[in-house]
Formats: sequence, structure tokens, C-alpha cells
Amino acid sequence: MSVVPLRPGVQTEPSSGHAQPVAMIEIDHVSQMFETSGRRSHLALSDISLTIEDGAFVSILGPSGCGKSTLLYIVGGFVTPTAGRAKVKGRAITGPGPDRGPVFQEFALFPWKNVLGNVMYGLRQQGVKRGEAEAQSRRLIEMVGLKGYESFYPKELSGGMKQRVAIARTLAYHPEVLLMDEPFGALDAHTRTRLQNDLLNIWERDRKTVLFVTHSVDEAVFLSDKVVVMTRSPGRIKQIVDIDLPRPRRRADLLLDPHYQKYVVDIEKLIDDVLEDELHP
Amino acid sequence: MSASLIGRRLSPLLACIGLLCIWQAAALVLKTDSFPTALEAIRAIPSILGDHEALLNILDSLRRMVIGLVLAALVSIPLGLMMGRSRAIASFFNPLLMVVYPVPKAALMPVIMLWLGVGDVSKTLVIFLGVSIPIIYHSFQGAKAVEEKMLWSGAAMGLSAPQRMFRIVLPAALPEILTGCRTGLVLALITMVTSEMIARQNGAGNILFNALDMAQYETVFAMIIIIGAMGIVLDAAFEKLRARLVRWSEPDVDIPVSFS
Repeated sequence: MSVVPLRPGVQTEPSSGHAQPVAMIEIDHVSQMFETSGRRSHLALSDISLTIEDGAFVSILGPSGCGKSTLLYIVGGFVTPTAGRAKVKGRAITGPGPDRGPVFQEFALFPWKNVLGNVMYGLRQQGVKRGEAEAQSRRLIEMVGLKGYESFYPKELSGGMKQRVAIARTLAYHPEVLLMDEPFGALDAHTRTRLQNDLLNIWERDRKTVLFVTHSVDEAVFLSDKVVVMTRSPGRIKQIVDIDLPRPRRRADLLLDPHYQKYVVDIEKLIDDVLEDELHP
Repeated sequence: MSASLIGRRLSPLLACIGLLCIWQAAALVLKTDSFPTALEAIRAIPSILGDHEALLNILDSLRRMVIGLVLAALVSIPLGLMMGRSRAIASFFNPLLMVVYPVPKAALMPVIMLWLGVGDVSKTLVIFLGVSIPIIYHSFQGAKAVEEKMLWSGAAMGLSAPQRMFRIVLPAALPEILTGCRTGLVLALITMVTSEMIARQNGAGNILFNALDMAQYETVFAMIIIIGAMGIVLDAAFEKLRARLVRWSEPDVDIPVSFS
């Protein structure tokens, strides 16, 4: 019998006997209740179950307030669900850990560190020697297109550049899952498109599992293998749409592709239904 | 050097000269013994600074001030940071601090002297009390404003809660903490003089008030100038240090580099 090494923030489950490859993320009947002012509670997520396979790019799509970010925070271990549980590689999530790397809309860079310092941070925390951490970080900075900006501080960078740094900072410590919380939501349209293309290029190299929260339909279709469409109040899964488009994808090539267009239109209709249901329940 | 830069460098000097001119004119008009002219006061400075005893007194004051300030920072910064990150700790200490806040710390001096004597300990303690609250308050505000997502990013990298406090909350709150320390520095100088006014044993304040008792008004005003100058020099030195430490947070006049 082999011993599974413990990861920080993750508990080993008692072995269930079978040796089949486990799904990367399992969300099992998760509900999340929030206390709001006036002692009313708000059901942000209601009985969500979802399995994400290893190496899949899955987007969670829904109107604002549908709890899609909360779901991502639960997988990240930043929020503990009121009911149900989430697992990563078969182990119950009890807190954040370096196997799940977040990228936030707000970038959340360390402003007192320069670009190199930010990217190196996780590696140094993991005990990688300075020289080795620096070499790896420089390669990553080059990969995200920021070569030459190593000594710049976050305040000196544009939004798009900050998000490139944030992506490099998270990739640096080799998480098995990338948790992206509307990462391009604060960027202008052109920057957004460039970063989407670059993210796909990076992703297509090593195919990490990605959980990507967005409210943009075309972004979700362009990037994902699967789009999970959610309703709100309470947050539930409306439908899961498999996106069967060939890779590698380039945005400019896809825009005129009828299959791509059909996916976008179908999902737009699903979202319309969601909003319509809210008005006329 | 551009004209505006020369102007910026010279204007503090001009302000000081202007103030001294007004003083000189006012003293000449009023003609009272207790209000010497600026020139008379300035002429008295070398005899104070040249006096070995007086110099030691001033250095004693500075030593107490620095010790009080450093001790206050060592206690207040961690306390303020913890209050900023934990609502329970904040609601425990907030009422206590609100009670202590309006009490003039120098007014505690006589009581403290009864307990701890008139020596260094009492005076340092009063300075400590005098500067703690602004440092606590600014550390608290700084820690409270730290972005949650920044802490989450750290947690995902494997930083434990104490590590996040020390390696994320502390540097992120540093600009605000140093603003508190700068206020504290000036307050320390004020409390230093007041404490020596009450516990008349030695120190810069003691020279000042002894001279007042003996009606040596030139010395009184010379000491006021010396203490004022100490304030300016200490503040400028601290500001230099602060600007170095938090250069990363200063709003820049330079336009940030930009490509998407």
C-alpha cells in the first residue's frame, strides 16, 4: 500500500478500495448561506454537484450574484461551504493549498515586491533556493510576455500587465488546478482578447485543470471544454454545455465559425431563460 | 536646476527667515524683558550648545524620546495590526483605547512619578503612552485595508496565518504604519518636553524651565528654537527613511508603462 503525501490544507480520505484515476475536482451537494443585514440569510449556492476532470478547462457562467465566484472560493478553500463538501484529487478541501492556484480580477499582487519578487514569492515559500527560483521565474515572466519588466513595481504597470504578472505568479508554484475569478473582467476589450489568446497558448502547453469564472459568454465558449451555466437566487446549475471546438483555438479564426456562433447563441438563450425565469417564476 | 526646483528648496528657508523677521519686529515694538528679540535669542544658542552640561541634558532627552518611541512602536504596531485583522481583538481594545485617548498623557506624569520616581523610567513611560495611540490607530487602519485576495493568494502559496501577518499584512500596511510613526515622532518630542517640565531633573525641558524661573529669557527662547530645530531635523530624517521604505507605494508623477 502506498502512502499518499499530505498536502497543506487537504485531508486524506480513507481509501475507498478502487484504484481508478480520480476526477480532479468533485463538488458534492454544496450549499452556501450568507447572513445579510436584518438577520435575513441569503442562499448563494443551492445543492451544487459538479465533477471536473483532470486537464479540463471549465468555465462557470452566470449573471452577477449567482454565486459563481463563491463556488470557486470554496474549491480554493477560502470559503467553507455551509453544507456539502468539495474534494480535490479525492481529498476533502479544508483550506487553501498550493495545489490550487488562484488568479483574481483584482490582481492582488504584492505591491512592495517588483515583478520578479512577486513571481518568485510562491517558489521561495516552497523552499526553492533563490537562484533556482529566480531562473524559473525569469522564464515564466518571459512566457507571459513581460521580459524586461522584471524590476518594475505593480504600480508602474497597466492592468493587463498586472494580470500577466498575477498569472505568472500563480503558475510559478505549479498548482495542479488554476482557479480564475473573472481574471479579465477589469480589462479593456483589446487587452482582454490578447490575454485570452495568450492564456490559451500557455494552457495548451501543459493542460492544467482550469476553473474559470466569467460573465462573458463568448469568453467562456472561446476558452472552455465545458461551460457550466448557473441561475441565481439561489445559485443552481442550469445546464452544462460541452464545447466541442477544435484546439488550438485563435479568437480571430473562431468568430466566423458557425459552430462557435451556435454555442454562443445557445448559451445566450439559456441566460435569457435564466433571467426570464426570475421575472416570471 | 530648474527655477521651480530652486524655489521649492528655498521656500522653507524663506519661511524661517520671515518668521524670525516678524519676531524681531514684534519684540522691538513690544520692548518687554520677557520677550527678547530673535537676534538676542539666536546669540544665546552657542552658549547653550557649547556648554557640556547642557549638551548632555539635551542628549538625555533625545535618548528617552527615542527609547519611548521605539518601545511604543514595538508594542503598538503588532497590537494595531492584530486589531485590524481580528474583529474580536478590535472590539476588546477599542473601548480601552477610547478611554485612554483623551487623557493628556503628561497629566499622568505626577501619578507615575509617585510610583516610579522622577527618573528616566517615568519620563520614558509618559513618552511611550503619548505616542502609542496614533501608531496603534494607523497600524489598525493599515491592516484593516489589506486586500483579502492578497491574503488568499498568500494562503494558496502555503503561508501560515502568522506568516501572512508578518509577510503580507505588515508590508502592505507599512505606508500607513509609518504615517502613524511620523505623527508619533512629533508627539514624542512634545511629551518629552512636557515630562521634563513636570519632573524637573534634567533634559532639554529642564533647561528651558530653569531659565524661565531665573528670568533668563534669551535662554528660554533659544531653547525653544533648539527644540523646534530638533523637531524639523528629526521629522525630515524620518521622512527620508519613510520615503525609502515605501517607495513602491508613492503615487508617481511618471506615467505607468503600458501595453496590453
